[in-house]
Formats: sequence, structure tokens, C-alpha cells
Amino acid sequence: MSECEVTAPGQGYPAAVSMRKDLSMPVISQQATERSPEVEFDPSGGRLSLRGESYPEDAAGFFGPLLGALREHLDGTDPENRIEVDIELSYFNSSSAKALMNMFQLLEEAAAAGRSVHIAWRYHADDDTMAEFGEDFSEDFEHAAFTLCPSED
Amino acid sequence: MWAEEYFRHKLWLNEKGIIFAFTGYLSEELLFSLGDALRKKMALEETDANVAKRVFSVFVEQAQNVIRYSADRVEGETAQSALSGQRVEFSSGLVAVANSENGFSVVCGNVIDAAHVERLRTRLDQLAAMDKNEIRSYYKEKLRAGPDEDSKGASLGLIEIARRSTRPIRYDFIEAAPGQAFYCLEAYV
Repeated sequence: MSECEVTAPGQGYPAAVSMRKDLSMPVISQQATERSPEVEFDPSGGRLSLRGESYPEDAAGFFGPLLGALREHLDGTDPENRIEVDIELSYFNSSSAKALMNMFQLLEEAAAAGRSVHIAWRYHADDDTMAEFGEDFSEDFEHAAFTLCPSED
Repeated sequence: MWAEEYFRHKLWLNEKGIIFAFTGYLSEELLFSLGDALRKKMALEETDANVAKRVFSVFVEQAQNVIRYSADRVEGETAQSALSGQRVEFSSGLVAVANSENGFSVVCGNVIDAAHVERLRTRLDQLAAMDKNEIRSYYKEKLRAGPDEDSKGASLGLIEIARRSTRPIRYDFIEAAPGQAFYCLEAYV
């Protein structure tokens, strides 16, 4: 299976691992607004996704709760629980870039500590800016797998 | 005769190729609305999607810099905002977008404390002297590092503006009032 394919929740996870679900953590699910992306974080399913545009008035305030929940999940669960991250942003401002970097640093640390972490960076094949950001972010990962996923549609 | 003064102002903007300009108290809500109008105008004119995205990005960072760093600010509670426990904030400045056969330019201007001029000028001199690859590396370096002291962002905004600009950024400072300077920054896409 290609690393850019979207897996259904639970699919491809060994039964032993999916049994070890972290049911104490809430699922974050926020709809996209005009200036902020859709956020889905399901710690027990090991899935996190961001979709849309990101230039909220207060980027640190917007991303803070997500980063807190991610940190809590990564610190509090068995590293055998893998995490799949899907990012599909068409635009983000510099304050959001900072928040993304903080999120990627948490994920890379978790991968360095033995967790299987995969990040798919999705963008339109014609989008030079998002392609370049993807290349730049990819350089920061040594342990986590970061895949550039350009699409034609 | 008073209409003539506004007409001359409008003609001056036209001569500069300015397709829209906002002067006055800017807020995040206005940033959103102006940015939305800018994107729609570019879409109507079938501006290349990558160019439109760069113009929009420069516009957002320029407008956010005015909102965050203008020394002329008003903030407080209105009867309405108090109901939701929020404060109303406005920062005075200007943002303008020009379009000509040479492409787009985005200008912002606002007053700053004169004591901040030298540090800002040094930063801008540094960015204007860098080539594309140097700016890209510098952006990454700043992204990894913590935010600068007394900078509300990571000072990444200015680097983003310089990075999207196809020519070196242009900037100037003039004395606006005792202890205050008027600062202008222009980027080109």
C-alpha cells in the first residue's frame, strides 16, 4: 500500500495493538472555520488530521489545546500505539507554521522514543508553496516517516 | 471643492496602480474581509493560483504586522463585547495592494516607537540582502528556534514577506512625531 493512501480507521493495525486503546483521552473534532482548519484527533485510533486553511487570529491559542492533547497522548500511552498524521492545508500563515513545527517536534521526539509515526503531507501538485513547505519540514524528521503526497485533483 | 481633494487622493492611488487601500483602524475582522475581497478580485482576473497565494500570504503578514506592532492602538470593552467578556482592539495603519504589468505589490505602513527603528531596520537590511535560498534557510532556522524577545510572533512574519517577494523588499522610516516613526514596507509578487 502506498504511504499516501488513506486507511480506514483501525485498518492495518494489529489486533493486539488496537486492543490497547487509550479510552481515557477525548477525541478532538473541530469543524473548519473561514480562518482555521478542520481538526480531528482520535488518540485511541492513533489518528490526527488537519485540513483547510490556517490563519487564526491567535494561532497559539488555536493550536494550544491540540498540542496539549497530543503531548498528553504521546507521553501517556505505550509507544507500541502507532500514530498516523494527515495534513492537508492549502494555506497557513507564519504563526500557524510555528505551531505546525511544534507539533512536528513532538511527533519526531515520540518516533525517536520508539513509536511508529507517519505523517502524510498532502497538497495539490501545482501548489509550489505547499510543496516547498513539505520539503522544508521533511528535513526535520529522522525517526518519523514524513511523506510528500501531491495530488492532481 | 472638497470633493476635489478626495478625487486627487483617488487619482494618486490610481497612478500608483493601487487596486485597493485601507487606511485607519485595522482589526482581525477587517483583515479577513479585505483578504477575502483581494482573493476574489484576483480569482475574477484569473491570476495564476501560485501568484495569488503569494500575494495573499504577503497581505496577511503585512496586515497582521500592523495589527500587532502599530504604536497607535485603541482597545477596550464596548457594551456589546463585555457581554462575551471580550475586548475590542484596533491598530491604526495602512495596507494597500497595487497591480501593474510588473505584477503585484503589497505595502503596509504604521507608526512605531522611534526606539524600535534601529532594530527593525537591521532586520530588514539583513532580509533585503539575502537571496532566495538564504531566506528559505533563515525561515527554517527561525521556525525551529523559540520566539525573539518582545516579538509576539516568531518574527517569522517579516521573513515570510521577504520570502514571497520576487524582488528585494523595500522599506523606509520617517519621523512622524516626537518619539514616533512612520514605517513603510513593500513587497513584490
